[in-house]
Formats: sequence, structure tokens, C-alpha cells
Amino acid sequence: MAKAADWRIAVVATLAIVALAGAGCSSKKPEGAGGPGEGQNGLGQSSVSSSDSLSQLQKGTLGAGNQGPLTDIHFDYNDSTVRAQDGEILKTNADWLQKNPTTHAQIEGHCDDRGSEEYNLALGAKRAQAAKDYLQTLGVDASRLSTISYGKELPLCAEETDECWAQNRRDHFAVSQSAGGPQ
Amino acid sequence: MRMVSSALAALLMTVAGASVTWAQPLTSAPSTLPPIQIVGAEQVAPIAVSALKNIGGDDDHRVSEVFAATLDRDLKLSGYFRLISPQAYVEDAQASGYNLGEFNFADWSSINAEFLVKGSAKRDGGQVLIEALLFDVGQQRRMMGEKYTGAPNEVGEMARRFADAVMESVTGTRGPFASRLAFVSTHGGRFKEVYTQWLDGAGENFRVTDNPTINLFPSFDKSGSHLLYLSYKSMSPSLYLADTNQRVETRIQSAMGMAVGGALTPDDRIVGAFSRGGATNLELLDGGGAEISRLTDDHAINVSPSVCSGGSQLVFTSDRAGTPQIYVMGLDGGTPQRVTFKGDYNTAPAFSPDCKKIAYETRTGGGIFQIMVIGVGGGAARQLTSEGSNEGPSWSPDGRYLAFSSRRGGRSRIYMMLAADGKITGSLTEGDGNDTNPSWSWWIGG
Repeated sequence: MAKAADWRIAVVATLAIVALAGAGCSSKKPEGAGGPGEGQNGLGQSSVSSSDSLSQLQKGTLGAGNQGPLTDIHFDYNDSTVRAQDGEILKTNADWLQKNPTTHAQIEGHCDDRGSEEYNLALGAKRAQAAKDYLQTLGVDASRLSTISYGKELPLCAEETDECWAQNRRDHFAVSQSAGGPQ
Repeated sequence: MRMVSSALAALLMTVAGASVTWAQPLTSAPSTLPPIQIVGAEQVAPIAVSALKNIGGDDDHRVSEVFAATLDRDLKLSGYFRLISPQAYVEDAQASGYNLGEFNFADWSSINAEFLVKGSAKRDGGQVLIEALLFDVGQQRRMMGEKYTGAPNEVGEMARRFADAVMESVTGTRGPFASRLAFVSTHGGRFKEVYTQWLDGAGENFRVTDNPTINLFPSFDKSGSHLLYLSYKSMSPSLYLADTNQRVETRIQSAMGMAVGGALTPDDRIVGAFSRGGATNLELLDGGGAEISRLTDDHAINVSPSVCSGGSQLVFTSDRAGTPQIYVMGLDGGTPQRVTFKGDYNTAPAFSPDCKKIAYETRTGGGIFQIMVIGVGGGAARQLTSEGSNEGPSWSPDGRYLAFSSRRGGRSRIYMMLAADGKITGSLTEGDGNDTNPSWSWWIGG
């Protein structure tokens, strides 16, 4: 447990350094990087890390489309099973993580707001764990994955509609450089 | 209204001076007190609270004003009394006496007062002395009297204790007002912070947390001096046990995983809910966070612990049977017994002080919850709320009331209702944010 906490603190420091160093870091991107973050603009530094939802909330950018290199997956109502179509997304996410071996992903479980706060925190934890298990079966080392739940605390969409609820029932993947890996 | 405002300003000083936390007062000043809605006025007794007679040093009547304003608000919140406006009073409190035989009951029966509070105030250097008396106007007799001494900033607390004594004298059960309320509010922004206030303290909130993250589920200990809560301030959600007098706190870590909530036992141990590997289980910890025992160990979600004041039983929510339902088990282990069978989403249970009843919330559709009460052995549950969505019930120390959050009226606020029939007696918060997660302390100050 202490180890996990230390790791998170280290990641904050790393993110701060990355942010300060700016574009200079992009030349240090891992060789052979590819995947969903690599588009016509190439895999720049901005796509190597993606901020976690709490930081996005603090910056006022939560829900503004800050996706990062890994794509969110979504869940059925009151369910934490990875859906078939989202298995494809996780496969792509796993490929990217394999090609970027110095990265960590924190998997955030989120819920829609129809349940109670505490139950949703536990449900979000199940959703994050489901993606972690799936990525591990695809060969991603567990030490590169961590989980956190935000329950219904950080909705992307605030309306009381099925579409909105579906958008909020998600796992988000916050990517950062590994604390102990090569910079 | 002027009287009330100055009283609240004084109350603000009361709490700040008396110690309470490292917390800071909110910057927003209270505007007006929320309306008191009383259903079933036939049970409401008219009471007059006369000004305290100045018998030395209270020449500006500050002590008397603060005492009366606090007492007025508490008696209104009780739901048992209707306060007769001082404008109707025919007697001059400063010219008249306050002991039996020194005033005319006719002055009070003529304005239809059933009960009458009179008394005296003395201010001597740093000390305030108050004698307060309760009279039965119809029978022309003295029912009860109390004397209080303390610092000027403790007058509000004296009034709360007297309100509790008035309720005991009239109803046979001590009132709940010498207690504190903790809650979560989005006051001033979008982050959830933990606040505490005297139960009746509209506008006198104190901030326990001050971090731009998420803070949830405050839970008072019996003395009202310790508060357990969940916070994301250290990146990973953790439980914190705060000593609000000493202004220190302990971060509670568990090998069982990420914290998702917890509660204190009467002897200041902790029941925490921790999530690992997709399951969330309950663990008993000592006050420093060391594991004592694992209370549940399965693949389900086990959350929302509440320990009865006797300390031997625990109630919690589990979806081990497929849907969230309420279970009771011994703190020393044993097989959890399911309490609720009706409805497919029952959660947020709270043990009544006598450990015989459980208040909880049931989902009736969408994100709409209602507060229910059921016997600890199960059976038929009683629905107490029906307007808007209502969550997070927390019992008063006298077992007569429930605090809960409600979205009736738009924003979420903390309300107080009679546990027997769900009559709302008043709203306890009135800030500019959404107020949720109420936790009612035990009596404070004996």
C-alpha cells in the first residue's frame, strides 16, 4: 500500500517535470511508438501523458475531450463486465502500452449518478479492476497499471438522459511516464 | 431579524473562540434563517421566551439576545413548539421579576402562552451567569430551572443545553440540540469539502477540509471531537481520522485496498470499507489504522458501515445477494443477517441510538431515493419521505430525529425530521452549495 502511494507521488513529480520540459521531451519518446495516440501529428509529448480526471476537474477541463493516447471504455448500467466492442478498444490500448514500455496507466472507474455515493465508489473500483484484469490478460504487466474509483463524483455529462448516463459509466486511462523508467 | 443576525454573529465567535477546529469561518454572512415548516400544528405548543432580566453587567442585553435567539431557533426546530412573537408580550422583563410570585401569569395567559421561559443574566468580567426557568402558564407552576456560568462566547451553548432541558421537561426526553452536525458542501465552488456546525447553526459553518479535491462521508465520534472522512487530497482516496480539538489527523491505510468510506465505533475504533481486486470489504481497525479483524471477506460490494451506540453490532450494505441490501452483523464477527427484502436498492443504513431501528435509503426509480426506517430484526419498513430525492439519514442522539439531505427545492440541503412520522421540522443548512452526507454527533458538553 505504501508502495502504491509512493508511486503516485512520484508520478506527480514526473508529470510536473514533463510539463515544465515541454516539447523538448518529445524527442525522447520511445522507439516504435504507435497506436491510437499516433495520428497525422505523430506521437507528441502531449499524447504520451493524459491528465487524470481529478486534475482535469481542478483545471476546469473535465469533459473537454482530453482523451490522451488511450481510449475510454464504457459499461452497461450497474455492470462491470467489459463489453465485446470495448474488448477491441482495450486490445488497442494494450498494444499502445506494449509499444510504450516506459508508461504507466491509472485506470479510473466512473459511474452514472443514479446510485448512492458509496455503492458507486465500490462499483467504480470494480470497473477499473475489470479493465486492469483485461489488460493483464493481453500481456500488460500489472506493475504498469493502477486503479482508482471516482464513483459518480466526476461526471462528464450532467443531464438526466440515457445518453448522458451511458457517457458517464466509463473507465478513463490516465497515462504518465513510469517513475522508475528511463526518461 | 436584527436580533437574530447579531445572535448569529455572536454564535460565530462562540465556536471560533471555543476551540473547535483548525477550520475557518465561511466568508459569506447568513442572510435569513430558513423557514420552519411544521406539519400537524395541533401538536405544537405555544411558548413565550421572555428577555432575561439584567441583574448586573448585561446593560446592552447582548447575553439575553443571544440566549433568546438560540433558544427560539432550537425550540422551533424541535417541531414541538410555536414561538410567540415578543411584540405580543405585555410584560416588561426588566421591570418584572423572574421567580414564582414575582410576575403575573395573567400577562402570559392573555397571549395564549402555554409555556414561559424567564430568567436572569449577569455579566461579571469574563464570566456570564444565566439562570433560566421554565413555567407552565396554565397551571401557574415552575417546571424546571437551570443555572449556567461560562465565558461570553458560550452563551449559545448554554441556550442549547437549556433547549434540551425544556424538551426533557415537556416531553420526557432530552432534546438533541447540544450536538454538532458534520456535512459535505460544495459551498463556494465545485469541490466537496467537509464542514461542521452546531446543529442549529445556520450560517456558522466551519471548514474541516480545504483542498480542491473530493471529501466525503464525515462520521462523528461520540464526543464530537473526532471526525472520520474520506478524501482524495493525497491522490489516492484514503480515510482520515481528524482530532478536531488538537487539529491533527491520522491517515488510515489498509492492506485491504482503496478506501471507499468508513465509520467510527463508540470506543473510537474504525470500520473501514476497502476495495481491492474488484471486491469491497469491511475491516475493523484501531484508531491508528492497525487491523484488528476483517469483518467481511467475499467478492461482493460491502459498504456504508454504521455501528450501534452499544458498540456490538454493525449494519452495512452488501450486494452479495445480487442487489444492494441492508445487513446486520456482530462487530466480533458472525454471519451477516439480511434485514431488507423489499426493493432492489437499499443502502446508507444508520443505527438508531438504542440500536433497535435502522434508517436507510431506498431507491424508488432513477436517481430518486427515499428515507425508510425498519426494525433491526427486519419486518415492515416505514417510508418517512416522499418529496424530491432524500439520502444519507443520520440519527439525533435522542433518537427522535433524523438529519438527511434532500434535493427538494432544487439544491441539496440538510433537513431535520421526526423519525416517528417524517414531519420536517426545519432545514439545518442554507449555504450556496449542495449540502450532503450529514453526520449527527452525540451530545457535546455532558
